[in-house]
Amino acid sequence: MTPVIALSLFGIINLFLGFTFKRQSLQVVTLLFIICSMALTAMDWNHEYLWFGDMMKTNNLSINFSLIIQLAGLLVVAFSNGFGKDEVYTQPAEYYAILLFSLVGALLMVSFQNLIMLFVGLEILSVAMYVLTGSDKRNLRSNEAALKYFLMGSFATGFLLFGIALVYGSTRSLYISGILYNLSHTAPESLPSFLYAGIILMGIGLLFKISAAPFHFWTPDVYEGAPTIFTMFMSTVVKTAGFAAIYHILDVTFGGFQKNWIITVYFITIITLILGNISAAYQQSAKRMLAFSSISHAGYMLLTVCANQPSTSSNILYYSLAYTLATAVSFAVLMVVAEYQTGRTEKPENFDALNGLAKNNPSLAFAFTVALLSLAGIPLTAGFWGKFFVFTDMFNKNLTYPIIIAVLMSAVGIYYYFKGIISVYFNSGEIEKIETSFLFKIALWSACIGTLVLGIYPTLLKSIF
Amino acid sequence: MEVSNYWYFLSGLTLLSALMVVLSKNPIHSVLYLVFTFFCISGHYVLLNAQFLMAVNIIVYAGAIMVLFLFVIMMFDLKKNIPDSKTNLTKLAGTVVAGSVLVILVAAFRTIQYPTPDESTFNPNNGMVENLGKVLYSEYLLPFELVTVLFFVAMVGSVMLGKREVGDRNF
Repeated sequence: MTPVIALSLFGIINLFLGFTFKRQSLQVVTLLFIICSMALTAMDWNHEYLWFGDMMKTNNLSINFSLIIQLAGLLVVAFSNGFGKDEVYTQPAEYYAILLFSLVGALLMVSFQNLIMLFVGLEILSVAMYVLTGSDKRNLRSNEAALKYFLMGSFATGFLLFGIALVYGSTRSLYISGILYNLSHTAPESLPSFLYAGIILMGIGLLFKISAAPFHFWTPDVYEGAPTIFTMFMSTVVKTAGFAAIYHILDVTFGGFQKNWIITVYFITIITLILGNISAAYQQSAKRMLAFSSISHAGYMLLTVCANQPSTSSNILYYSLAYTLATAVSFAVLMVVAEYQTGRTEKPENFDALNGLAKNNPSLAFAFTVALLSLAGIPLTAGFWGKFFVFTDMFNKNLTYPIIIAVLMSAVGIYYYFKGIISVYFNSGEIEKIETSFLFKIALWSACIGTLVLGIYPTLLKSIF
Repeated sequence: MEVSNYWYFLSGLTLLSALMVVLSKNPIHSVLYLVFTFFCISGHYVLLNAQFLMAVNIIVYAGAIMVLFLFVIMMFDLKKNIPDSKTNLTKLAGTVVAGSVLVILVAAFRTIQYPTPDESTFNPNNGMVENLGKVLYSEYLLPFELVTVLFFVAMVGSVMLGKREVGDRNF
């Protein structure tokens, strides 16, 4: 609760600092704000609190999720570099403030105890994302992406609200505890059948936000159109928060009704895996490839939601952390290279634009490679263990066919991730030394080292989660 | 007069004005009929004992949203006569869809059982502003305060996006 209050206040303070501060110092201030709220989050460790009469619950699980989300926010702010030297067209104070506010929404989504709180959190996060997607105002792609995201996102919110209404109608409570109580004290035959429709509709609303397959059509366009720094934010923070909410709704609240939703979610998972990976293999643009890869990773994480084992929550945490670190690094490298290539090549975000990066920028190339290897799930990186834990979960539940599909699809994944590595190391191209700021380097290296350390000692974090 | 008579009168009025929204040729008339429809629906809220909802419905829908609608319509060039672009196929498809929805609704309403309110727990003041305020500022205080964050984000965002920018558009 304290980080929620703190981040809201910090957001407002940040807007006022925009009048007086330079953009680089704004970045440092925002970093300090996020670190401060991370410390406030960690202070509640090993305590379980209910806030404002059961509206929110903070326990170790929600603290872990909050820390991952804020870590992603921290990385994004560190990579943002004060939004460049473009004095006229960027407004860093507003961007940072909106980022902080959207973290508030994400924190609500990981610790809600009332469906109203879930809705408010999701809306805060989404509205902030709609604005940031369209923040490159003179870019037609950005305009299109913002409008598309807004229209489709509002539609998905409608689904979620309708689902909440149906669940409320059938269980007479908006509180998770009340829903659980009423469900356990009513005979399954006497529950109205629209409860099941409500569960599925809520699922649809949330699956849209994490871009699972039949609802993924917005993802590539929005990820491509949005400025890269906000794409990074979208693919890390929104996805982690969305998965926390899905876990909370499907596995914790409606885990007893698994047989009613499992077939739908299965179908969605398998379609997500196949569509995400196969379409990613066709992409020429690295940014679009990463968008499809984010769809496919949603599929892997959904596998563990389907399995619904005791270890599911810790697996989602581990996977989100591994995915967050790797995606942030790959988008960051892509962003600086695209910035360099703008004006030099026609399509600065294509794989071709990365050609020959390793020659003059060995550190950027190495970080990019580690990130892509982790996304592909190669051993000694965090991504490998993420996938390993997910597959173990499935195996314990005797779900063999989805594992086969998932393993085949990660083989497809290796193809398109290595396309990036090949163009960085083996294709010839002229890229001069790209200067990056000090904070950028620190964030890049810490994320890289984090990926490797998690890949070598997965038990380091597994013992905490 | 009994309450149910008011209900029949209001429902008839609602249906009539809703039909006129679709049937009138002039878009401005359509919008005005829509405003009227919202007022009728607000009347239904009063019958359902939800006075606050009635006030909000009039202020937000009939007031804010419909005025926005009117502005948008005024900005269009209405002099141009747009030819009817619907082919027979789309008309047929529309009829089939609407007809099947009608069948489903009739089938559903045939089997529906209306719940009767429990006389012992019925509170006629439930929908009053006073009660709503009490619930909003006690049980639902946290979401209520957090909605302000939501509106603040929307406000900051619209100001940021609405600022005029010079310079070339790019792709």
